[in-house]
Amino acid sequence: MAVKDIAEAVVVMDRVKVVELVKTEIAAGTEIDEILNAGLIDAMDIVGQKFSDGSLFVPEMLMAAKAMKAGLEELKPHLSAGAAVSRGTVIIGTVKGDLHDIGKNLVALMMEGAGMDVVDLGVDIDAEKFVKAAIEHNAGVVALSALLTTTMPTMETIVAAIKEAGIAVKTIIGGAPVTAAFADQIGADGFSADAPGAVELTRKLLAA
Amino acid sequence: MNAAERMKAAINLEPVDRVPNGPFYEAPICQYYGSSFRAALLEDQAMADAHLAGLDEFKFDWVMVGMGLIGGIIPEALDCRVSYPEDVFPIIEETTVKSIEDVARIAKLDMFTKRMERFLKGVSILKKELKGEVPIACEYISPFTIATRLRGTNEIMMDMYENPELVRDLQEVLVPLNIEVGKALIEEGVDYIFYGADMECPILLSPEHYKNFVDEPTTKVCNELTRLGAKVLPHMCGSIVETGIVDMLMKMDIHGIMPGNLTQETVLDIRELKEKVGDKICIFDNINPNGPLLIGTPEEVAAETRAHLENAKGMSGYIFSTAGTSSPNIPKENYLAMNREVLNFQWIDE
Repeated sequence: MAVKDIAEAVVVMDRVKVVELVKTEIAAGTEIDEILNAGLIDAMDIVGQKFSDGSLFVPEMLMAAKAMKAGLEELKPHLSAGAAVSRGTVIIGTVKGDLHDIGKNLVALMMEGAGMDVVDLGVDIDAEKFVKAAIEHNAGVVALSALLTTTMPTMETIVAAIKEAGIAVKTIIGGAPVTAAFADQIGADGFSADAPGAVELTRKLLAA
Repeated sequence: MNAAERMKAAINLEPVDRVPNGPFYEAPICQYYGSSFRAALLEDQAMADAHLAGLDEFKFDWVMVGMGLIGGIIPEALDCRVSYPEDVFPIIEETTVKSIEDVARIAKLDMFTKRMERFLKGVSILKKELKGEVPIACEYISPFTIATRLRGTNEIMMDMYENPELVRDLQEVLVPLNIEVGKALIEEGVDYIFYGADMECPILLSPEHYKNFVDEPTTKVCNELTRLGAKVLPHMCGSIVETGIVDMLMKMDIHGIMPGNLTQETVLDIRELKEKVGDKICIFDNINPNGPLLIGTPEEVAAETRAHLENAKGMSGYIFSTAGTSSPNIPKENYLAMNREVLNFQWIDE
């Protein structure tokens, strides 16, 4: 089935083939929604799983995401509100004092791949910016990333600021030094040890 | 035994009188004793004063410096724009290698900036004060990890597929610069080079990419630093045994391995590493700096430390350590609790 071929091409990071196959399927009249979900979104789930089980690594994830995005660009003009309903809006950023973005970027890519609207604030982001973005974009989830142990306490500040703002948004945290115990301690709504887990957790929180 | 003798014995897999105590203590000690965190990380006398005060209370078996060097001074010397906040590690605000054309410029840079000179002076002051009784360890980084600082991590990772020549050429020019700074550290008094291979660990990079891109430049640097007189200790997170990375490390002229654990889930049991390397090399322990040490109670820290020490009991060539960078926000009572367990543990060589 050609749509599965698209997914395979994403997993093997073949951007040219992804674009070619997406164009072919569009021309053949295949449902846009099917190309998006079975061809592109499912592919990133497979890539995420392979990363979690250690058969793919960061360069491969980034290249697969690039291939997926290329396919998505071909689909975009054909997408309508009926064909692809947003799964919700997520604000994501690396917290103040921390410039590491590799994990955040992977999570953002996978969330986009999963059909979420992702507003990536970048790195070194303070509480005020997270709160403002969550309100402005009517976000369902705010995702905080940190790689430095020194910036983990900032997560607590941001989680507190979001609660104080009184907005109905969930917070999740992640990053190499972060733990579930730390998430509980600071009052976050969830924690994930890896990118696929973050997507799954966010799906559940947005659906709730 | 004094500290220098104890560490030397452990490195040589000889009997020790008690557990050698060599944690990555720099950030918390700079926080507890520094005139400011920044000054203690970077600045000659302030750096020496903080470490000497820490040594006086904690009785570590080494002095460990270098977070400011690898986080800010080296990237800045290589043309990154770096800021130095008062109370956190240096921050790289802008990378410098945008394309392969920038590599030639990097090759011509002078590493010995004013900040570098002040850092080296700090090492020199410590050497004089310690009188050979306590060795000095310096955190250091590989050409590949430096390359990620200069180019950007995502960019370098994708370059491996899209622009492999850049990855190779950039590391090639960084090798002599890396050796040059390492030589200066050794000449000022550094005894142990803690060689950080953060970005090439098997959590992030495949063993194949490590072999094809990283192994050769890293081997050149490590072997030369050993030839210049340092004890070189590679540090890497993830499953270094299962992935075969440890076999490549063991081919280098090194003196110990410091297995990190970037996450709780990827911690390597040092007994597994010992089974692999036998009596060929010294092994550092890897207690998680972000677990109870950071967010637990002193009692929980003490229990976790005892568990690690019991697991290692009697192991030849063992040095107690933490798995990686410790947060400056670790409560002092927690660090003291860990330290007490180490100093009081009844050690018996196997």
